[in-house]
Amino acid sequence: MENEYYPWGGEFTTCNRKGCVAVVILNMDYTPCKDVAIYGPLKTENIGIEKIVANIISNPHIRYLVVCGNEIRGHRSGSSLLALNKNGIDKQHRIIDAPGAIPYIENIDEEAIERFRSQIEIVNLIDVTDKKQIDKKINECLHKSIPVFGESYIAIRITPQVASLDDKRALHSKIVIDYLGKVKKRG
Amino acid sequence: MFSFTKEQKIIDISGIRLGGQPGVNPTVLFGGFFFKENPDFNNAKKQLEEMYKLSKKTGNSAIPDFFIKKDEFMVEIIDFIAENVPKNYPFSIDIIDPKLKIEILKILNDKKLLARTIYNSIHVGITDEEQESLEKYTPEAVILVAFNPKDQSPDGKIEVLENGANLTSKGLLEIAKDIGIKKILVDTAAMAPGDNSGAAIASIPVIKEEYGLPTGCAIHNVVEKSKWLHEFEIARKSVDASSNVNIPLFGGDFAIFGPVENINLVFPIIAWQDILISEYTENYFGIEPADFHPRRKLF
Repeated sequence: MENEYYPWGGEFTTCNRKGCVAVVILNMDYTPCKDVAIYGPLKTENIGIEKIVANIISNPHIRYLVVCGNEIRGHRSGSSLLALNKNGIDKQHRIIDAPGAIPYIENIDEEAIERFRSQIEIVNLIDVTDKKQIDKKINECLHKSIPVFGESYIAIRITPQVASLDDKRALHSKIVIDYLGKVKKRG
Repeated sequence: MFSFTKEQKIIDISGIRLGGQPGVNPTVLFGGFFFKENPDFNNAKKQLEEMYKLSKKTGNSAIPDFFIKKDEFMVEIIDFIAENVPKNYPFSIDIIDPKLKIEILKILNDKKLLARTIYNSIHVGITDEEQESLEKYTPEAVILVAFNPKDQSPDGKIEVLENGANLTSKGLLEIAKDIGIKKILVDTAAMAPGDNSGAAIASIPVIKEEYGLPTGCAIHNVVEKSKWLHEFEIARKSVDASSNVNIPLFGGDFAIFGPVENINLVFPIIAWQDILISEYTENYFGIEPADFHPRRKLF
């Protein structure tokens, strides 16, 4: 059932499935209270953000996304997440006005992003590392009376791929390797 | 252990040879400096000396990779490079922030260090400003990171090199050539566990056979992101260092092995692996190891 709500596995920790708060932790050690729905670190401004979007819209109870801790230098992942929520993506799937190095959203579609933007209110605590201050903000959000955002939205489900047994590829379809280890381009 | 039918390009960066058929040149080892906290230059100086000693002993060429994350340290780090990396030895600079990359290229030019610089890296996030800056201040060599946010498979990595995967107007190879970069290395972009981490290794022979360019990766990043390994404190360091054997085993040419603190593990492990590979590739493919190969030095 847990997987139903969070279809893209990762480093996150799940708590109260009906909690209305998710917490993104940038560069700091912090464990929020167990009343939040889910929390975890964010490292990259592309796949990292995609996982967050996918795993939040799959749980319609989540309405607040608290982003806390020191910004990831260079990647600027926290600010890029905020930019996604504020601006969306352009035609090339780049997060509009994101400051990160490679802020592309490639694995989830625009509809999912729009759902994220509608479902979530971001609480910007980037560069805030005072745990009491973060706890306080999370508690404020937890005590707000806010309705569930409709149905669960599954943007992507990451499942292991199983190669078929009659697949003749050795390492890759582009190359052929003989029994001694000679690599040739196929075809 | 492989041999490729595609002609393999060997590039020479300030006397360090990268690339070729497996078994010719030893694996080149990039050791990372200044990843964490503020730079400790005294300690870095000792580690740099130790790395060159190990390189001399094993035959595996060493290239220091300097991670520059804050503009407040950039001048100090470049001064450290100018003073401590022996004259004519190459080094690489690893910077994420596109604006910082541009500033550092200018400083490297002012300090006359570009001829020894390996730029780490060009990827699909390259900006117009960064490209202009690279055209103006062109480094000796560039690492192209074949990261494709949509497709982490070998095909996805080739797509990024070939046509930019709709993220850039042209492929990374063409971008590098248009800038005027003659010495190109390909990093197969190791991803976190769960994001097709093994594709970074599987892509090595595919990219070598496709382009014949020196290819490698920072496979230790996968180890770093394997959080469960934190519970196995003793094993973790060994796994981190030994993960690099996958690179030469799959025909790769260089390993960006992470924290320089691991040199005493990484150099002998890779030298051992290079000897193993050389014995096979000479036996079956007639590939003779270079004069400075670990097989010629260590018995």
